[in-house]
Amino acid sequence: MGLEQYQGDVNMCCRCSACKFIPLQHVKSYDFSYVCPSISRFQFHSYSGGGRANIISAGLKNGFNYTDKFLDIVYNCQMCGACGVSCNYAMDMELQEPINELRIKCVAEGKTHPELERVIKTLKKTGAMVPVQGKRGDWAKGLDLKDATKEKVDVLFHVGCLTSYNKDMHKLARATAQILKKAKVNFGIAGDMETCCGGRAYQMGYEKEFLKQAKMNMSMIKKAGIKTVVTACADGYHAFKVLYDKYELKGDLKVLHITEYIDMLIKEGKLKPKKALDMVVTYHDPCRLGRLGEPWIHYKGKKIPGDRFVFDPPKEYRRGTKGVYEPPRDIIKSIPGVKLIEMERIREYAWCCGAGGGVNESNPDFAEWTATERIFEATATGAEAIVSACPWCEVTLSQAIEENESSLKVYDIVELVAKAL
Amino acid sequence: MALSKEIYRELEDIVGEEFICSDPAIMPSYHGSDLGAVVLPENTVQVQAIVKTCNRYKLQFSAVATGWTGSFKKDIVYIDMRRMNRIIEINEKNMYAVIEPYVITAELQAECFKKGLHFNVKGAGSNCSAMLRGHGHLDQSTSGDDRNHLAIEWVTPEGEIVRSGALGSTDEWFCGDGPGPSIRAILTSAVPPGVTPGVFTKAAIKLYHWAGPPKYDIQGLSPKYTLPEVPKNMMARYYSFPSVEKMWQAEIRLGENEICMELMGFNVSMVAANIATCNEDDERIFKRLNKEKKGPGFFVIIAGNSDNDFAFKKKALEQIVREAEGESMKSLEDPETEGILIAQCTRVTASIRETFRAGGAFSSIPIMSQRDLTIKWAIGAGEAKLPLIKAGHIVDDGGAFFGWGVEQGHVGKTEIFCKFDPANEKAKAAVEKWSKEQGRRAFDESYFALMMGEVSDDIKANMCHYDKWWIALTRAFDPNDVAPQGGPLV
Repeated sequence: MGLEQYQGDVNMCCRCSACKFIPLQHVKSYDFSYVCPSISRFQFHSYSGGGRANIISAGLKNGFNYTDKFLDIVYNCQMCGACGVSCNYAMDMELQEPINELRIKCVAEGKTHPELERVIKTLKKTGAMVPVQGKRGDWAKGLDLKDATKEKVDVLFHVGCLTSYNKDMHKLARATAQILKKAKVNFGIAGDMETCCGGRAYQMGYEKEFLKQAKMNMSMIKKAGIKTVVTACADGYHAFKVLYDKYELKGDLKVLHITEYIDMLIKEGKLKPKKALDMVVTYHDPCRLGRLGEPWIHYKGKKIPGDRFVFDPPKEYRRGTKGVYEPPRDIIKSIPGVKLIEMERIREYAWCCGAGGGVNESNPDFAEWTATERIFEATATGAEAIVSACPWCEVTLSQAIEENESSLKVYDIVELVAKAL
Repeated sequence: MALSKEIYRELEDIVGEEFICSDPAIMPSYHGSDLGAVVLPENTVQVQAIVKTCNRYKLQFSAVATGWTGSFKKDIVYIDMRRMNRIIEINEKNMYAVIEPYVITAELQAECFKKGLHFNVKGAGSNCSAMLRGHGHLDQSTSGDDRNHLAIEWVTPEGEIVRSGALGSTDEWFCGDGPGPSIRAILTSAVPPGVTPGVFTKAAIKLYHWAGPPKYDIQGLSPKYTLPEVPKNMMARYYSFPSVEKMWQAEIRLGENEICMELMGFNVSMVAANIATCNEDDERIFKRLNKEKKGPGFFVIIAGNSDNDFAFKKKALEQIVREAEGESMKSLEDPETEGILIAQCTRVTASIRETFRAGGAFSSIPIMSQRDLTIKWAIGAGEAKLPLIKAGHIVDDGGAFFGWGVEQGHVGKTEIFCKFDPANEKAKAAVEKWSKEQGRRAFDESYFALMMGEVSDDIKANMCHYDKWWIALTRAFDPNDVAPQGGPLV
């Protein structure tokens, strides 16, 4: 671990600018050609994936100079991974990982962002990444759900901080529970015993706090004998599936996003959306379900000395290829009356909603700017609603819609499924 | 901060606080240079004001669009053209597009395809400025270099706005030579030493007919994007020949008969880089293709405007290749591979794979000249690469070179790469030595005079002291010496 291991990778950056755009083969218009919110908003090359690689490369060689501008560059990034996908269309080098590690290094050296510090303080105090109102399990009142910490269940539904504590998002948890009940899944929740997955702390650079949360979760899961976790939050999915594995904490725990689970239930005939909804929608791929949701690859090897940047054994890069792209689309298509129209930037090269990397705390204007770009893109398809699969996306996109007085509607995919059952 | 507070404030007043920076934090991402400041103008008026300020303080500046690797003098003002990224107009009737410097090729191309139009895409790739002058894969059907620039809006090194050609006397962009002022000799290439000092702020680019689809229906996930099928009336083939002479015969006849949308003299190493999705694959595919090829070759794309047009072009292509004893490389006829090559080579999206992916850096000797002559030189330059390959300094491409004819093909581009690891000092030194020797040999053996890098006095003398004339000319436009030559638009 550590930034130093990526010296060879960041040295490879040729400043080609591919990281700024969607993979060039996919550029279909002038309007939606960019993929990196940070370079699009802040303009200086330093805010692009390549610019960050150049900064890391120089820092590893000559030392890091943490000026205000340096920290502005570090923290104005959603850590969405889009730059890495576009880079890796052409290049063999790690890009997102050194960017993650730079944040971790900043935090470790006390070069933090005050707003993110505040969030982490809340996490330490309450076990949540959002302001705590009421109890974590309040959303489940009256639903008579099993307590997975006490009762034997096949599936733990990990709800997540935002859905648990933001009353406007309770509908997502309730819809998820309704769907799982309808399919007669033996599931439970951890209720008030649930704690933050730690994923967003990791995105913000707080590795220690992330690990603390991860260990707490895995301890509870092991103690309860849980074999499968389903999350309805892309950040949670990424944390349990990818990050826990990266830090070798996941073991053989099976981690599924609710879209994967519902898709499976539909295909097995255990769930059948029947009611026609008659709407035209477009689908927004959450970054941590899509490109960043692909499994972690444990790699140990060495660069082969010589002319090429190749490794022994050959290195497999996480290029966004194995993210969750089809299940949500298959679910939408299975709902009678719903027509799916795609935006230009989708799947592994989807534009971020703006919420990632702690940006909606550290720079809410930038988060809203990013979401507004997405709203324009969704509107351009002619769809009446944008559907996503993560509460952070729903909240951020909703705020942009309100701010722009758009008539576009936002749904989480579980809301549509629940309506159609 | 190298700039005085006074100058910084003046520049800040022009572009706004948000769009100027001299913080050391950003310098590594600006070529590792120790710049006076980076400024991001939004429009021509701001560019003009920046340039005038630089003149007033005798401060050097460089304007850069997308900007690959480069090196810049200490304390200069770096004009990053990122915010000037608008497509001003796509004029279908008169077949030109007016663009600003930071419109990349992929963007303009996407908009042009929808209208059945296309333009010359430089070999640097679709990630680079569409305004860049130069050459590329489509030179046979879209010409190259200054033929494709029509009217230009140019901020001179002193800060005067000059509008060339038709734009100088009307509001029209259709011609670079008149009825307004034609200054084609000055508004020249982006390739040193003839780099125009000052800043191009808008340019009209000539458009051509595009016989391909309005968009490619790309399938699959990165890094392997494919087409569901080969687009109707399009075909891609790689032909190899028993000798360079035979290859040249076929190339020139294809040019003269105007058969090809694209005739790109790729070597098989570059074909492998296009198809392969990683470095390991690249090596494997190169070895396979190297065994499969008959000899030197080129890559061709034909596109018909109708079934009959396509049938004619295909028949003529196959006859010409047959008569030159060429053969299509069968493994590349696989429809999936053919689709990948059609999409990538018309959009020119794999240049990064061809150049930087293997080792992180490449060195190149590009020459635009009489094609048959430069090919002869390139054979020797390729052979001279073999010891470097054997020593493990550069990536094994079989000592290959590449190139293509422009329009009818007599004149064209010939180029040769060395790909290496920039952190390997021995490799770097070996490549530099090779480059100098081959440049010198080109002159000594009367192939051409290479005017890049350090040019020796005898070469300059034999070129009628072209460099002195050029410097004298540019100094007339730049009395304060504020616009150093360079300014890569790439």
